[in-house]
Amino acid sequence: MKLQISTECQGHGRCYTLAPQLLSSDDEGYVTISGGDPIEVPEELRELAEDVVGSCPENAISLIED
Amino acid sequence: MESSTISERQGAEVTGCPVLHHDFSKTREMGAYWQLANELRESCPHFYNEYSGGGYWVFTRHDAVNDIYKTPEIFSSASITPWEPDPIYRFVPTQVDAPDHIKYRRILNPWFSPKAMEAAAPMIRETCRGFIEPIVPKGECDFFEEFALRFPTAAFLTVIGVPVSYTDLFVGWVDAFFGGFGGDPEGAQGMATALGEMRVFWKEQLDNRRAEGHREGDLFSYLLDARFDDEPLDDEVLLDMCTVLTLAGLDTTRAELAYMFHHLALHPEHRQRLIDEPDIIPLAVEETLRYYTIIFGDGRKVTRDVEFHGVQLKKGDMVYGLVSGANRDPRHWEQADEFVIDRKRNNHFGFASGPHRCLGMHLARREMAIAVDEWLKVIPNFELATDAQLFERGGGAMMSLSTLPLRWEVNA
Repeated sequence: MKLQISTECQGHGRCYTLAPQLLSSDDEGYVTISGGDPIEVPEELRELAEDVVGSCPENAISLIED
Repeated sequence: MESSTISERQGAEVTGCPVLHHDFSKTREMGAYWQLANELRESCPHFYNEYSGGGYWVFTRHDAVNDIYKTPEIFSSASITPWEPDPIYRFVPTQVDAPDHIKYRRILNPWFSPKAMEAAAPMIRETCRGFIEPIVPKGECDFFEEFALRFPTAAFLTVIGVPVSYTDLFVGWVDAFFGGFGGDPEGAQGMATALGEMRVFWKEQLDNRRAEGHREGDLFSYLLDARFDDEPLDDEVLLDMCTVLTLAGLDTTRAELAYMFHHLALHPEHRQRLIDEPDIIPLAVEETLRYYTIIFGDGRKVTRDVEFHGVQLKKGDMVYGLVSGANRDPRHWEQADEFVIDRKRNNHFGFASGPHRCLGMHLARREMAIAVDEWLKVIPNFELATDAQLFERGGGAMMSLSTLPLRWEVNA
């Protein structure tokens, strides 16, 4: 399972606030993986990853199943 | 952006769109604007709101408000108040569209980023304690007057490098400005005067830095060094930036703080939850921004003829996305009409969405979280100190209480 964040990210910061163990912000407040490669999410963090997807007002976050 | 509900077809049928006559600048009983938003949303997805000077389209549901925010090439920010398509002020970058908008945002983003706010947090906390400590032994206060009005102003001034002694001056300007912003004609003169005085103040600050050199941790020095397409910002733009930072940063946070503490005064179980689990305070802040959003609606100006959610819009029309309707739309939310204190999937529009999302959001949230944390540490139990009806300012200028009497027991 992977998490991907598109360039639609506007730096609301809800994803990396909810899941600091997965995501972090750059110096302007955008998530660092915005527009970049997806990151691996361990199975035990599935619910958290789903919360992260639902927290984004830009619908910029998607979960990719293996 | 192409979507099934936005098309370029001309002459499309427009059906079932009522014409209404609502005044969103009126003071009403607390909560009346969210109730109105619920009623409007459930009675029609859109309507035309007519007033003496003209009219504008209102979109009441989450899907349309989302599409307005996500399509800035159609919905310009040249005006964000639909009752005033050509305002006397210009907020930069709020009222700037692409391609220039992002260039201004990239100048300002780092100053208000989560990392910058993390660095400022100890100072914000110190400021917060400074306001709470003298209140505790009194056993009562007007939360709005004595705390909500002052703490965010002082915190903001410290973050931008202006002495906190200017707090009262700013409180007066911001009040006067928002007296006219929501469309109330009686407030227009006060708004213009406040704008003029604020610009004189900013100009003095900028001239001072030019004459006496730059300072560390000072937003004016930073803006004087900033470059737009390799050129320094001219004075008009600098003043337009300073104006919106002040207005957006001071009025809004105090309004949200007051609604949040009103909620906590009425819900001892939620106070206890936040005391027991301070980790969920940020979630409670986000839920406050959803459920008690102060943004009744957000205006945009249409850039070209387009059919949008069944309405044929014309270039130059004004639209109003009913954010307060969207934030409680049961088509989008589970438990839409409940305050879910630890709601995680909270993609609310309380800070707007799209490229113009609130610049100061990271500061605002942090102020709110710190205020709740510090207050509950020393005043864990409190209640409303009045049975009188509370009122809120009209949603056109963003809803806000003007008083919030609280009381608590003082330990001898």
